[in-house]
Amino acid sequence: MMSGGDLNPAAVPLPVEDRQGDGRWMSQHTRFVQECKDGEPEVLFVGDSMVQLMEQYEIWKEMFSPLHALNFGLAGDTTCNVLWRLQNGELENIRPKVVVLWVGTNNHDHTAEQVAGGIVAIAQLLTNRLPKAKIVVLGLLPRGEQPNPLREKNATVNRLLRSWLPRLGQALFLDVSNEFLHSDGSISSQDMFDYLHLTPTGYNTLAKPLSDLLLQILEETPEERRASLV
Amino acid sequence: MSAEASNPAATPTPCEDSQGDGRWMSQHVRFVSECKEREPDVVFVGDSLVQLMHQFGIWRQLFSPLHCLNFGIGGDATQHVLWRLSNGELDNISPKVVVLWVGTNNHGHTAEQIASGIMEIVQLIHNKLPNAHTLVLGVLPRGRMPNPLRQRNAEVNKLVQDALSSLSHASFFNVDPGFVLSDGSISHQDMYDYLHLTAHGYQAVCEPLHAQIKSLLDKPAEN
Repeated sequence: MMSGGDLNPAAVPLPVEDRQGDGRWMSQHTRFVQECKDGEPEVLFVGDSMVQLMEQYEIWKEMFSPLHALNFGLAGDTTCNVLWRLQNGELENIRPKVVVLWVGTNNHDHTAEQVAGGIVAIAQLLTNRLPKAKIVVLGLLPRGEQPNPLREKNATVNRLLRSWLPRLGQALFLDVSNEFLHSDGSISSQDMFDYLHLTPTGYNTLAKPLSDLLLQILEETPEERRASLV
Repeated sequence: MSAEASNPAATPTPCEDSQGDGRWMSQHVRFVSECKEREPDVVFVGDSLVQLMHQFGIWRQLFSPLHCLNFGIGGDATQHVLWRLSNGELDNISPKVVVLWVGTNNHGHTAEQIASGIMEIVQLIHNKLPNAHTLVLGVLPRGRMPNPLRQRNAEVNKLVQDALSSLSHASFFNVDPGFVLSDGSISHQDMYDYLHLTAHGYQAVCEPLHAQIKSLLDKPAEN
């Protein structure tokens, strides 16, 4: 199984270069590091725009804020960028019970095997830093209006994750990909307005099973919760 | 003006499918279809700031009742919008107002090139829809603190506002309610990534915009 190490470019921590000139990536990272000092989240969401956009819709206020969740999603991020952020302050001072990890669709320079390895490397890092936390890894959704190579790639990543993640013990895999594919193989703009990013309707499809899973995890083992407050 | 050949921002250019899932073209094709099926009074065209507006409650609240179509595509620069409007997205429709909001993604172009690109779009819309009024929205400031892109965007707005002042079929509309605070910062409560608007940010932009569009729609038709 491929995971970390310098053999896998998708598992090399890398910040995003400021090519546009307004330093927005670093500004967001800095803000997240500050939020770690201010907050005591029970749930931490980390990943790319799929995570970030969720916080902008009503669904976040309805279903995830009440769970004391923080959102460290950053649009455009690859596994490399998320790895860098988590190693550079975004896990300091916090002890969430659950981390929701959703990243991989932007790893355009990497193979499916490398991407899955990068995701596992992040899950491994999270388990090392937060030994009591459950890691919920979300499957990469299909993208593009019609079947195309990126759908196959994302599906392969999911297949590999399904087989590799159980070895980590604390990691769970949740994949709602099938909910978005119509019988003719198309994806509707009602679910993904640009055939990648979710509409509020699209997020509702994901939110129910995810919220159920989080509630289940959070209701478990109150003894461990008391112990972690010591 | 015959500067198109030397101004990439004013040369109609489709977006290359560099990722491999053809999403840009799928969206364009969908918009062309919508032109055949719908009879909008207002068409919004531009980049992600237009596209995301459609995802928030404010769209259904303020703009759906005005019979609007949303032709925003994330990442689009002026040359992409120019191509889309030249290739079907203004066909078969006769809106009274076209709202144009683009320019912030023209990386590598000067303020002059971007402004020329915007004016090229304004001219194209007028050629295709002689009875429509084009409302050009000012490009918003971006980045958490002052930076070169804020200067560039401000310069674009100044140039565009000047160029539009002599036209009767188009006008400039500033939708910045004062996002830049006294210390020069932009709040993530308004722009969650210091570029894209939150629901709160859209509220501040859309209310005055809605009033402006309504006043254009309520004007008696000329001729």
